[in-house]
Amino acid sequence: MPDEALLTVAGIGKAFGGLRVVDDVSFTVPRGGRLGLIGPNGAGKTTVFNLISGVYPLDAGTITLDGKAIGTLPPRDRVLAGMARSFQNIRLMPHLSAVENVMLGQQARASGLGALLTPIGWMPRGRWRRDAEALLAEAGLDIDPGDVVSSLPYGIRKKIEVVRALASRPKLLLLDEPAAGLNPAETAELARFLRKIAEGGTALLVVEHDMGFVDEVCDRVVVLNFGKRIYEGSMAGARADALVREAYLGADAA
Amino acid sequence: MSAAAGVRGAHPLVVSAGVAVGCVAAIAGLAALPGGATLAQQVVSGLMLGGIYVAVAVAFTLTIGVLNFLNFTIPTMFMLTGMVAWGLARHGLPFTEAWHWALALPPGIVVAILASLVVERFTFRYLKTRHGDATEHAIPLVSSLGFLLIFEHLVLIVLGSDAQSFPVRFRLDWQVGPLVVGLPQLASLLLSLAIVFWLSWLLARTRTGRALRSIAESPDTATLLGVEVTRIVPVVFLLSGLLCGVAGALFVVNYSDVSPFMGDHVGTKAIAAMVLGGLGSIWGAIAGGLLVGLLETLGIHFFGGDAAQVVVWTVLLLAIVLRPQGLFGGSRIGKGKL
Repeated sequence: MPDEALLTVAGIGKAFGGLRVVDDVSFTVPRGGRLGLIGPNGAGKTTVFNLISGVYPLDAGTITLDGKAIGTLPPRDRVLAGMARSFQNIRLMPHLSAVENVMLGQQARASGLGALLTPIGWMPRGRWRRDAEALLAEAGLDIDPGDVVSSLPYGIRKKIEVVRALASRPKLLLLDEPAAGLNPAETAELARFLRKIAEGGTALLVVEHDMGFVDEVCDRVVVLNFGKRIYEGSMAGARADALVREAYLGADAA
Repeated sequence: MSAAAGVRGAHPLVVSAGVAVGCVAAIAGLAALPGGATLAQQVVSGLMLGGIYVAVAVAFTLTIGVLNFLNFTIPTMFMLTGMVAWGLARHGLPFTEAWHWALALPPGIVVAILASLVVERFTFRYLKTRHGDATEHAIPLVSSLGFLLIFEHLVLIVLGSDAQSFPVRFRLDWQVGPLVVGLPQLASLLLSLAIVFWLSWLLARTRTGRALRSIAESPDTATLLGVEVTRIVPVVFLLSGLLCGVAGALFVVNYSDVSPFMGDHVGTKAIAAMVLGGLGSIWGAIAGGLLVGLLETLGIHFFGGDAAQVVVWTVLLLAIVLRPQGLFGGSRIGKGKL
């Protein structure tokens, strides 16, 4: 067990003004594992992400990443501990170029006062910039890395956000609805890309509504409903589970 | 529109070089006209004065562009440099002899930078950690006004409220045809432009600059990405302190007069220059600063000292009414800023 779990979420809770949005949720993501976090709208999936990445403080419970308690650390220290995330609504810096956005992901890696005051290689030949361009190319993004992000199509921006998260070389990648708004071809391509990332040893925690996509990318799912965990296991098992069916379709249909 | 877009598409250095060559040619042409020499002289002086406004306007632009914070202590940094240097030259230190007073200027600049960091620590950072995203509110603005008055009156208590003159005037003139160009003035214009160019390079090309621009776009997302926001924000204050300190030192070199209130005049002109150029655009601040300097000296030339202020502000208000986004509003990088 000790070396198995990369991320351990134990009994976490969060209430907003009396409404318990996340209530005693626990799960683990093993090293190199691919966990899907699913559930109907308002189940608390994004809140769980925000608690793990440090957007809000925890009301209850603990979060451990790679043996380190990170539940009370500021977001930057959680990034340094080995996690990176994408956002449900794309949160790239719109006026920065694609490669500059990816380089922001690298920012956490080289830190310290020296790195702060010394430019990390000026364009176009810096090592960091080349790394960032290589990451974009590996992701199969056929764009000019110098293109300003706001001028790029939605599907490409969505992918750049994943690449930016990868640039911090995380052990755990949190993806919040990575396939939302993508067409079927883009979705299939993204699934291939994510499987490649997972094969490289990076663990995935994915919130997604597209069940086919989850089935393809993840090897296990946790289902949330009204802030509580109602199922943990295989996707096929989730499809057959009465509670899950009820949560998605309502009591009558179940 | 298309011409403006074309200019904006070109490299800023190329544009600046073009503008500089154009200015020199215009001044030379003006000086060659019968009776044009005096006017040309005013243009030269105006550009030199504008160089000081440029530095202070860029300091304002930085804090507005990155932190969305109108830092009212900026004129104080400018004043502190002048007054601290004067205080050092006047009291106790061996700076009174000819030339040696110039050694008092670097400590003055250091004091300006330190004061700027103190403002960051006790207004901006304190309020932000205590009360969340204080940049959204007027609180840092009001607290910076408080610091403005505190610093001004501390200087007043220690060094008195009178306007003072540096004992030695730096005089080294360069005669170009009918024009007299003060070398210190020329050097100060070049120095403030050099600092501004360095700064725009830093913003566009370095890791720190990228972090600054990401904070300008979204401090929350930058934090979640692991950008060291709390360590980068003081850099803004350090840089604005440096710009104001250098501007203050250049003011002393050029005009040799200092007072505890010397920042007020320059501060208002710099804010005007920033707005004229386009809020949050560094290139706008350069253009705006030079224009305001020109307007002021030409206004004095044509209408006399008192009327000149009315002329300057009338022109500025007109410019703002006619083009509220400023000359360079909607620039290339940053949040449509910086």
